[in-house]
Amino acid sequence: MTDNIAFKDVRSLKQLISGGQITPAELVDVFAERIDRHNAVSKAFITPTIEAAKRQAAGLSRDELGESPFAGVPYASKDLFDVQGVLTTAGSRVFHDRVAKSDAYAVAKLRAAHAISLGKTNLHEFAYGATGENEFYGTCVNAYDPTRLAGGSSSGSAAAVAFGLVPAALGTDTGGSVRAPAALNGLVGLKPTIGRVPTSGVVPYCWTLDHVGLMTRTIADCADLLRIVAGYDSSDPASVNRPVDNYSDALGQDVSSLRIGIPKNFYYERADDEILAALESVKEYLVVAGAILVPVALPDMEHSRTVSLTVQMPEALSAHSAYVQQRGDLYGADFRAGLALGQCILAEHYVKAKRFVEVYRQETNKLFDDVDLILTPATPEIAQKVGTVKVARNGVNEAIGNAITRYTTFFNMTGHPALTMPCAMHSEGLPIGLQLVGRYFDEMTVLRAAHAIERSGRFSIPLPSLGL
Amino acid sequence: MQKLQKDTLIGICAQMASHSWSDAEINELVDPQLGIITGFQDLLNELEQLRKIDLGTTPPAMSVQGANPND
Repeated sequence: MTDNIAFKDVRSLKQLISGGQITPAELVDVFAERIDRHNAVSKAFITPTIEAAKRQAAGLSRDELGESPFAGVPYASKDLFDVQGVLTTAGSRVFHDRVAKSDAYAVAKLRAAHAISLGKTNLHEFAYGATGENEFYGTCVNAYDPTRLAGGSSSGSAAAVAFGLVPAALGTDTGGSVRAPAALNGLVGLKPTIGRVPTSGVVPYCWTLDHVGLMTRTIADCADLLRIVAGYDSSDPASVNRPVDNYSDALGQDVSSLRIGIPKNFYYERADDEILAALESVKEYLVVAGAILVPVALPDMEHSRTVSLTVQMPEALSAHSAYVQQRGDLYGADFRAGLALGQCILAEHYVKAKRFVEVYRQETNKLFDDVDLILTPATPEIAQKVGTVKVARNGVNEAIGNAITRYTTFFNMTGHPALTMPCAMHSEGLPIGLQLVGRYFDEMTVLRAAHAIERSGRFSIPLPSLGL
Repeated sequence: MQKLQKDTLIGICAQMASHSWSDAEINELVDPQLGIITGFQDLLNELEQLRKIDLGTTPPAMSVQGANPND
């Protein structure tokens, strides 16, 4: 019984609460028991906050439960988000004693919506890296195969939802750190337009590429969650002051006449054949459903990974400068090596990279004169074995972190909204995901197409048996 | 551009304003083993290619506000 509840989406849980079939306090108990049962394997949570969750759930009134789609529903946040009175470790020993004095913007919005925080989830140390490996808090594994990586850097948020420990989670996405692990774990992952969800109260990794992201089981839950956490905060220089859409209005619409760009370059190259085949099935469905596929040429991607890295590492080093001096010995080896790389990048290189980002933004924006969306695979590979260092594909050896985020990184630089969702199962028993990218602040169209794909029923995948 | 030597990085870190990096960290830049970052020599080669590309008067990217012609 509890396992069935644990894998329900938020809207279904709300129906149970509204119908008096379960109380928020009982819901907390269900997920708390599952965290107790599965956290040793999944390594999803660094700091569960069960007692605080129980107190909050017990204190919710009937009126409050009717105030939002997430009222009375548990969620988790990546351990970069400040939650007042709770440790924010950032997945690092460096922050072993950092107790948050106030809530991050998104957490405050969820608190005001009476959602119940169940705790803080694991991550690649300071969000540096897409494998989710963490030598101090453990490496999150994939719910579909615990010998495989959950992916990262929002590894714990992905594992928490995939293992049925929470129905939704917050993450951050600087190069794909929400979208990629969501895809590898059969979940919905959304990186909204840069500036749509303030990053205030989130430990920074790279200020100009960081986005708050969402992980859910369904597109409808994603739309509801985005409606809650989107907004404006003047303390975040990237935050944009514009009205928040009612994203659930995008649900239930068809895709007829939507123009969907299919990249001619980069995105359908050097990928697992089964992933490419799955995307062909999605394209076929879209055409039958009335969408118009339009071949598009994205900007030259040859240097995009280098451009991203050249922006990331000096910013990360600058963000960590004081801590490196004060607590440098507490960092993990891989992040320190990355920071050392940031030290050796010249200022001219950084500025040139930022100018390339502007070129990418302008050229990608032009594409949206001719299309409403762009469709790509979410990742070129399925979840790889824990400990994998390089991935070989078509004669090219690629660092696994680069491979996991190869299709997602670019849209952190351009800032366009991008969503990943499951679209098939690989013969190795692991999820395959697609990615939809939209115009600036047009999450509505992204969600519209995503919901149509989900609603078609042709691309649903089974739950992981391990999590049951 | 000459091939990067480990001693060069050690010299840079010792002689310019820099944090202190261990021998292992410098080694990871020259010969990456952790599967996360690109080798520094590869990065420098790419950066040298980028340096030669003329971007005209394109400024560095800033906020996306005002960057959307569809607004």
